[in-house]
Amino acid sequence: MAIFTKKVAEELFGELWTRMIKDYGFGKSLKESGISIYFVVSDPDMVMFVDENGPIFGTEAEKKMPVVTMKMKGDIVHKFWLKDLNVPMALALRQIVAKGPVNKVLQLLPLMKPGMEIYPEYCKKFKLPMKA
Amino acid sequence: MEYFDIQFMNLTEDDIALKKATHKFAEEVMRPTAKALDTMSAEDVVADGSPLWTFLKKAYELGYHKTLLPEYYGGLGLSPLQVHIVFEELGWGSFGLSVLLGVICFPFYVSCLAGNEELIEKYVKPFCACTDASIRGCWAITEPDHGSDYIASGEDYFTTPKMHGNVQARLEGDEYVINGQKSAWVSGGTIATHALLFLQLDPKHGFGGNGICVLPLDLDGVTKGKPLEKIGQRDLNQGEIYFDNVRIPKSYMLAEPTFYEPLLEMILASANMIMATWSTGIARAAFEEALVYSKERVQGTRPLIEHYAHKQRVFKLFARTEVIRAISRNVLNLNLNVSPPLAEYSLVAKSQCTEMAFQNAHELIQIMGGNGLTREYIAEKLFRDARATLIEDGNNETLERHGGHILAETYPRPPLDF
Ligand SMILES: Cc1cc2nc3c(=O)[nH]c(=O)nc-3n(C[C@H](O)[C@H](O)[C@H](O)COP(=O)(O)OP(=O)(O)OC[C@H]3O[C@@H](n4cnc5c(N)ncnc54)[C@H](O)[C@@H]3O)c2cc1C
Repeated sequence: MAIFTKKVAEELFGELWTRMIKDYGFGKSLKESGISIYFVVSDPDMVMFVDENGPIFGTEAEKKMPVVTMKMKGDIVHKFWLKDLNVPMALALRQIVAKGPVNKVLQLLPLMKPGMEIYPEYCKKFKLPMKA
Repeated sequence: MEYFDIQFMNLTEDDIALKKATHKFAEEVMRPTAKALDTMSAEDVVADGSPLWTFLKKAYELGYHKTLLPEYYGGLGLSPLQVHIVFEELGWGSFGLSVLLGVICFPFYVSCLAGNEELIEKYVKPFCACTDASIRGCWAITEPDHGSDYIASGEDYFTTPKMHGNVQARLEGDEYVINGQKSAWVSGGTIATHALLFLQLDPKHGFGGNGICVLPLDLDGVTKGKPLEKIGQRDLNQGEIYFDNVRIPKSYMLAEPTFYEPLLEMILASANMIMATWSTGIARAAFEEALVYSKERVQGTRPLIEHYAHKQRVFKLFARTEVIRAISRNVLNLNLNVSPPLAEYSLVAKSQCTEMAFQNAHELIQIMGGNGLTREYIAEKLFRDARATLIEDGNNETLERHGGHILAETYPRPPLDF
């Protein structure tokens, strides 16, 4: 069963990314590194685009031209934010498949760290399990 | 010689400037260094005062040691096309010195691939900032008893206990203790300061129980062998590394058995596609020599190139160069843009491009007749260097078997339709 519904995922990640951009300088880092990301998530099926301006979802996101696209299942997303995922191993095992310059993909991991620190707050808020 | 680029319409001003600058380095620094080193003994190649050290210092000052590394950590941050442009020119300058620059970055590049933040801070960033060539990596995988089978993860024997590695590590508290020996083929082995070391952690699973670590080579218990003498790529230093109760922190192990095979596959995919890009350079060098010689050498009252049958021979060298370039660029562009890489394409690129580059070097000697065999011309060196590429980074037959294994396991591969 999916770890979250599409509705919860959009609300949660909308808040999480917006806060990372506003409070943790993530937008500036994305801009400086020339990175935008398009997430294609299954179970629940959803798409999200993020650049320095913040996250957008659904058909609006589909229209964008991302630098990096990442495809994974919802439970892998949850594990990632819980720091419960070895991302290079997940990539090697095709649990995550990424399109876009490998160097930018490698660079994304350290940039996303602040989000991992605040993710448990959102798990509480949206009543998600704190263990993957 | 100026060589037309079939993708000229896609080249930016930066790409063209990069190509010119790298070619200048290849022509003015690499070629003369490689020529000098080729005639020296393997020990003299790495002795104090050898032209190798001046070459390395220049290469580091210009940043060629960090071509592959992410900009974020201090690397050059080049596009796949730019990486190809640089490696083609370096391969043209000298295949052996290109390989040396390639393995020099390997422990650091793979630390990034494995996302090991401790090693990135401690070793990758200083390596990127290094301009005096004092930090040098190597890739220590093969052993006296294990060559092709070290990478043959598709073979049935790979994970059997009979596959006993020479270099073993055991965990003692928070440290790994390492013993054993790597083969005389470790490129840059006798001059490296850091190794990307492949070793066995759990012998009951054969090589399925292997791991990969980064090991600083100034630790107690590390010794090196004598530099290896060989017929090709004599400018590429090689030699054994021995480990006698060498201790490293557990965190230096980039991959333990669960991550070993996937990381091995990613490393092979990277190394093999890069071998193909350097092959473009050596194939082009052979074509250019053939063309120049064919215009100079007069037989039957006119230059060789004016004999109709000879034109076809020169054209074949040109055609192979273009095919090699097309394959290697496409594969580099693919595998520097998808994670995980599609290893079968890297295996296509390495096996096919090195074969064709070798055919070019072989045919160049034939085109030059007796002169092709003399040391007065570069042809015989290109031939010896290209010959080694058929074995280096995995025998081509072994790589093709492995490619077949990937096809059997994964094809038809679904499109990356997202
Ligand atoms: C220039 C150069 C640079 C190198 N750089 C490095 C380096 O940086 N680091 C490093 O660790 N090593 C390095 N190597 C070693 C290289 O990876 C090995 O030489 C290569 O993998 C082949 O291993 P081998 O020489 O032991 O040959 P073997 O494995 O003994 O193979 C001998 C022959 O047997 C065939 N064969 C092997 N197994 C099978 C099988 N199962 N079925 C059918 N046929 C088989 C092979 O195709 C080959 O023709 C380098 C080698 C060269 C030449």
